[in-house]
Amino acid sequence: MKELTLTPTTMPKIPVEAEVICPDVVAGRTLEEIRGLKVYVGNSVHGLGEFFEVEGEVADKAAEQMIVIDGSVPTVKYIGAKMSAGSILVRGCAGMHTGAQMSGGELSVEENTRNWAGAEMRGGLLRIGGDSRNQTGAAYRGSSEGMMGGCILVEGDAGFETGSFMRRGMIVVKGDVGPFAGVHMNGGEIFVFGRAARRLGAEAKGNGGFIACLGEVESLLPTYVYDTTYVPTMMKLYMRQLKEGLGVLKAESFLDAPFRRYRGDVAVGGNAEILIAEKL
Amino acid sequence: MSFMLNGVEIEDTFAEGFSMWGSRIVITAVNRRWANIAASTMTGFATSVIACDCEASIEREVPPDETPDGRPGTAVMVFGFSRGRLTTPMLNRIGQCVLTCPTTAIFNGLPEEEADAMLDVGKSIRFFGDGYQVKMRMDDGWVGRRRFWRIPVMEGEFLVEEKFGAKRAVAGGNFLVMGETEAATLEASERAIEAIHTVPLVITPFPGGLCRSGSKVGSTYPFLRASTNTPFCPAIKETFPDSQVPEGINSVIEVVLNGLDEKSVKAAMAAGIRAATEVEGVKWITAVNFGGKLGKYNLGLKDALGVS
Repeated sequence: MKELTLTPTTMPKIPVEAEVICPDVVAGRTLEEIRGLKVYVGNSVHGLGEFFEVEGEVADKAAEQMIVIDGSVPTVKYIGAKMSAGSILVRGCAGMHTGAQMSGGELSVEENTRNWAGAEMRGGLLRIGGDSRNQTGAAYRGSSEGMMGGCILVEGDAGFETGSFMRRGMIVVKGDVGPFAGVHMNGGEIFVFGRAARRLGAEAKGNGGFIACLGEVESLLPTYVYDTTYVPTMMKLYMRQLKEGLGVLKAESFLDAPFRRYRGDVAVGGNAEILIAEKL
Repeated sequence: MSFMLNGVEIEDTFAEGFSMWGSRIVITAVNRRWANIAASTMTGFATSVIACDCEASIEREVPPDETPDGRPGTAVMVFGFSRGRLTTPMLNRIGQCVLTCPTTAIFNGLPEEEADAMLDVGKSIRFFGDGYQVKMRMDDGWVGRRRFWRIPVMEGEFLVEEKFGAKRAVAGGNFLVMGETEAATLEASERAIEAIHTVPLVITPFPGGLCRSGSKVGSTYPFLRASTNTPFCPAIKETFPDSQVPEGINSVIEVVLNGLDEKSVKAAMAAGIRAATEVEGVKWITAVNFGGKLGKYNLGLKDALGVS
């Protein structure tokens, strides 16, 4: 891996749209070319080098490129958007749309991200060390396809509409989630280790999708029907993966846990599941 | 021609292996007992394709830390003459013997990158769910891609992987253990089986891994396509005109093994032969072949043992 370091200098008051901070874009370019990559601030166009000091090595291929943003950039949007390979590490916060529509590689943010992190993600791994705001892994307005693959791991809390219109992939929130998690979900998995707020799985259709609540649940929609309490074998696979693949140590305590199984949302003829871990 | 190993005469010949399709699956259950029950039931009546729909046996017990769901597992290998003739018995046997067995789940034991084909076994078994089966997708676009089916059953839920890996494999690896007494021959054969099962990706489908009634192709009866291996029956060695039982040999047991590749079969044959030669009373070891006319693999004993 060749490491390219972007050190934030002076940031404008309005957000910087910097989808060029992506291994696919920088790979194969010179440092001078990278400094000149276009970013948008409002209706004006600037060079990336106006906001970041650019140093380090550039790889020929995206898969061998690592980009380190050495500082907090909460107003820089679209970091790693549409990335397909390589890795990005943000040593601090990242702005809206971080990792949106990414299809591969690994993007790690040490602190918080703002809205739409991992929106319409297709693949890869997005790690958020702090909180992620609203619409994490969600579908953009007007789209019926949210996350289609990959994994989002949020160490802190996530806001509302987490995983809306999700089709495939996995979202793991170690903290709480806001209302409407998994709204319109049609596949994929959401794991919530903290408190799940109301309207969980609203209008979810199913297609193998489920929301696993491993902490408290504020309330369930009446359109979810209780089936049974059992120990699903499949949960053992997920809990092992969470522990061994993602380092979610809490998962181990749920390996043999019984789950209450609810099916819905019957308001839309859905067949999705909400699995709520019984207190052991 | 022959050579000596631990004081036992080994004939310089070869076992004639033939090509089959093989698959490997891992059955897990709440404890070792139920995993083994499911595996034993599934591999019943699967000694030889002469009269069985497939050849199958337990490969090994899999510790919980090596199984996908962290429960005790048992690895089973199944062999058939074609992809179709492998898929059908797998489907039937999993459906009747594993699906029905309490607490079990079943996983592919031959990864796609090592397989020549992926068989839609779980994909067919899912219909047992009568529309209530749930597709389970794991690792999309991330660390890989795995597909399972969750089938509701009266006891809870049966989890089955969608596809099972299969590859062109080697069947018919064998050697004959010949001893002065029945007891010595049996003990040597048992030790051979123990040694063979230390080699991965190999099974011994006969009872306890052993076949006391090795067969030859054809018979004097027109309706019977295989009959007792007369040249190797000590009881008729003076009566049968072309007996191949050496002087002083009173019992012969055949060890038959199938493996996912030639290298594994040879390694297992070598391990088995070495173990068998350590038993007193064993005098001669040879292998069965048809002059190289039937099978495409000539598994030479000398070659397997690494003897120059």
